[in-house]
Amino acid sequence: MTIGQTVTRKEDHRLLTGRGRFVSDLQLSPMRHVAFTRSIVAHAHLATVDTSEALALPGVRAVFTGADIPLALRAQSALPGYVETDQPALAVGKVRFVGEALAAVIADNRYLAEDGAELVDVDYSPLQPLVDATGVVIDPVHDDAPDNILIRRIFENGDVDTALEQSAVVVRRDLTTNRHAGNPMECRATVALWEDHRNLTVWSGTQVPHLVRNMLAEQLDLPEGNIRVIAPDVGGGFGVKAVLYPEDLAICAMARTMPGTALKWVEDRVEHLHAASHARDHRYEVEAGFADDGELLALRVDATCNVGAYSVYPWTVGIEPLMAGGLFTGPYRLEHYRCLVRGVTTNTSPSGPYRGVARPATVFAMEAVLDSGARALGISGADIRRRNLIAPDDIPYRMPTRLVDDSGHYLECFEKALDLVEHNGLDYDGLRAEQQKRVAHGGNPIGIGFAVYNELTGLGRAASAGPRMPFRTGHEACTVRINPEGSVTVLSGVTSQGQGLETTLAQVVAGTIGVGFDDVQVRYGDTNESLWGFGAFSSRQAVIAGGAALQSAEAVLEKALALAAELYEANADDLTLTNGNIMVAGSPQPIGTLADVARVAYLESNRLPAGFEPGLESTRFYDPVMGAFAAGAQVVVIEIERSTGELKILDLVCVEDSGRILNPQIVEGQVAGSLAQGIGGALYEHLVYDDDGNLKTGTLLDYLMPTSAETPEFTLGHLTHHADNPLGVRGVGEGGTLGPAATLAGAVADAVGLEIDELPITPARIWDGLAQQGGAGT
Amino acid sequence: MKPPPFDYAAPSSVTEAVDLLAATEDAKLLAGGQSLMPLLALRLARPTLLVDLQDVEALSSIETSVRSVRFGAMVRQHQLVGSTSHPLIGSAARWIAHAAIRSRGTIGGSLAHADSAAELPVVATAVGATMEAVGRGRSRSIGADQFFHGLLQTALAEDEVLTAIDFPLPRRWGFAELARRHGDFALVLVAVAEMPSEDDRTHHWQIAVGGIEGTPRRCLNAEQEATVAGVHTAAQIEAVARLASTEIEAVDHLHASATYQRAMTAELVSRALTQAVEPTTISEPSQRETAP
Repeated sequence: MTIGQTVTRKEDHRLLTGRGRFVSDLQLSPMRHVAFTRSIVAHAHLATVDTSEALALPGVRAVFTGADIPLALRAQSALPGYVETDQPALAVGKVRFVGEALAAVIADNRYLAEDGAELVDVDYSPLQPLVDATGVVIDPVHDDAPDNILIRRIFENGDVDTALEQSAVVVRRDLTTNRHAGNPMECRATVALWEDHRNLTVWSGTQVPHLVRNMLAEQLDLPEGNIRVIAPDVGGGFGVKAVLYPEDLAICAMARTMPGTALKWVEDRVEHLHAASHARDHRYEVEAGFADDGELLALRVDATCNVGAYSVYPWTVGIEPLMAGGLFTGPYRLEHYRCLVRGVTTNTSPSGPYRGVARPATVFAMEAVLDSGARALGISGADIRRRNLIAPDDIPYRMPTRLVDDSGHYLECFEKALDLVEHNGLDYDGLRAEQQKRVAHGGNPIGIGFAVYNELTGLGRAASAGPRMPFRTGHEACTVRINPEGSVTVLSGVTSQGQGLETTLAQVVAGTIGVGFDDVQVRYGDTNESLWGFGAFSSRQAVIAGGAALQSAEAVLEKALALAAELYEANADDLTLTNGNIMVAGSPQPIGTLADVARVAYLESNRLPAGFEPGLESTRFYDPVMGAFAAGAQVVVIEIERSTGELKILDLVCVEDSGRILNPQIVEGQVAGSLAQGIGGALYEHLVYDDDGNLKTGTLLDYLMPTSAETPEFTLGHLTHHADNPLGVRGVGEGGTLGPAATLAGAVADAVGLEIDELPITPARIWDGLAQQGGAGT
Repeated sequence: MKPPPFDYAAPSSVTEAVDLLAATEDAKLLAGGQSLMPLLALRLARPTLLVDLQDVEALSSIETSVRSVRFGAMVRQHQLVGSTSHPLIGSAARWIAHAAIRSRGTIGGSLAHADSAAELPVVATAVGATMEAVGRGRSRSIGADQFFHGLLQTALAEDEVLTAIDFPLPRRWGFAELARRHGDFALVLVAVAEMPSEDDRTHHWQIAVGGIEGTPRRCLNAEQEATVAGVHTAAQIEAVARLASTEIEAVDHLHASATYQRAMTAELVSRALTQAVEPTTISEPSQRETAP
């Protein structure tokens, strides 16, 4: 069995020795290159877009504007309170954010295409821009939403007003979270090639190739079978590549006018920061009522998500607001809950899925009110959490938003995280003593911060990602094929942007069938090879695609053993397969091999028993129907340099319930990567627009990504409570991002009594806060 | 992010380079390219010709004398890290970006680029370095106080090549920097240097602050206070630091308020002076990367 072991990843040799094949490596002939002319004005009518000078440049083959491509993406949802809007392939009539593509230049190489893109002469007739979701609307972003509100919903349970009145204390926090970019190492990339007017191949660095095929077929009015989408090696995604973008649509539409010629676009970092989807630009006004003993009695939340200029396709602008309202209370018991969420369109890049979707912000808000409540009541931060966490006895627990929690292992995660805390030989209690010592005797203050969260992973049809869209994302297909010589090929609908799916699926299939890990080959990312898959988002692949792989492997194993039973005149129930050998109960010697059986299945049909079809293959769909809640807890210990406001992480502990662990190293890599991303969001990353709608952080010089130097060593712990699905797994892709903003803000308050209401937590912000307290530099 | 069209030349002598600059309108020198190439890619710089100095071997020498060290303009920044011939530069160079950038970036390139948030212009200002420039048919020396004219602007004429920089050796020195991340341009950086007089009989303090204004700022009042009253005690150092923080002109920006920048000026002047009088307190950037 290789399930549960750390094995050398199948993809590593290729990826670590420069042999990966990414979209940007693709060279076809003839191939032309695309550069987009992007709006430099945040909000304007397009008076004229003059392409004549660009077209005259030698090497430029064609120039397209919005008028040439009458296609638009229109993300749909059946939710009441949702306003549908169009996102044109290239801006038509109006631009809505700085960076929006309004023309495309096709040239012999990217240099010439950019030269041409500069020559497109745009006459803007400016409108009043608005970048703040709480600002006053003068010129609406979309005519159909005069108040700029594209979605509005109230989540309500119990009687919040009465419960607040009856609370011993009511705390209020007004919180602002910072806008982030996904920033995978590889930016977006698309190549489109039409064989003729009806047959299209698209190479895309997408997380969702089958969805892309489906969406393109609809947009381009083609049968799905006429479109092939290939996601080759992809260098990170984090959600921003789970979107179909207007650029993708424009490239396919333009390429259709030149069958036989491939069009290539590789997004650069400036384009990515300006025009790939953003996330986490939220405001929360939260009131929380507590009983004397710390019990959380009521929560009233008013949440405003800045969703940017367009509704991302296909997820809609609902992706962040609905997640914020739906999971705000996290792993805490609560009856009386009222949460108004609204998604407000502004003249900024559209917001979309990004690792953790809204919850890095809601966990920050939820933990902030718990900390405030604890302070108001004079109880410890640890105790107020212990008092309120959903416990195993409460399971299944119906949350106030009617989601059903099937985990309950929060306290265990939290206590284990506290046990694991260690710095310079001091444990949690030792650090508390050291903290007091420093208060008494001077020295830089120490603070400890907490976050406990639940992550709804592996969403099935009853809970699938997205707001009542015209499709459900609950299932995956997998084909497991035993080849004529006994090796195994897995054709899966998963995609990998670095998560190691090639390895984990091979482990699942090898372990289930009983062949060697090296004898299993996993292929994915090509819609012509695998039957169906939604791909990578919502921490779903291990649960759903893993389940499909398991069930397909079981089915093909059953078939192989049934055939073996006939061939070797044995009882199928007595047969097992180990390392490619067919074993019969009670005998140490194999009676045959899988290769022998497979040869018969494919090449010696004369030996096939009656009723057996040739071939050894099985395809199964799997849908978990519900999902698998994953519990997680983080504790951080920090030290604040009073003289500068700098924050140093002394220890960061994360304990997650991963369910059954398929590959420990991959799980730890997922957790560590998401923690680093969480730290980036809490301390460094911030997309800032000025009032005119210009992005002030348009390069990585100003948009600060954490590097290895800013990322501390982590202390990781695991629980392995098997989930209620065939593999027993829970998703681990996102949980790590949920904690750092909450723990670091809580730790600052714990260290110096400074409530952090706005992210990111910068040295200047801490220092300014200390200065107002009169405590800076002392 | 592809540069607009430009021509490229790689002369092997300073004379050839100067001739190319003089003969071409909007020509630009390439001396490592760690700032210029991003500017080209962003189309913020649009030279018609790039004159690459990497083949001009005469610009890579390092000459040490009793009173100063003279660096050829094309000495790579990684060669400066940990320098014992000029320990202030050796210490400050550890703070320059990352190893990959230092292996290409040059001392002359950084000074000619003239970003006050970079380490070398601030050190050059603190020690009063002398820039040697060669133009068509002429050469001249430019003091650091005359060299930096404003943000990314210097005294160099269109046809002049910065060929070498002479860095006087301080008696005592200190260097302190605050950046958002390891390797970033500084929010604030400070170099202090106790310089000998011509006759070596007296010494005086020079204090330069970078990262806040368009050019590195010499804090003359603070220097006077340090020189006259001394920096023997913590109280004296604090007095100098406070004075320095009143001499800079700061404005709020994305990463720091003006108030914060002034406060950090005081903090870093204090740290740098403390290093100067107690060399055991010299700090290195917090990083995992081991300096080569």
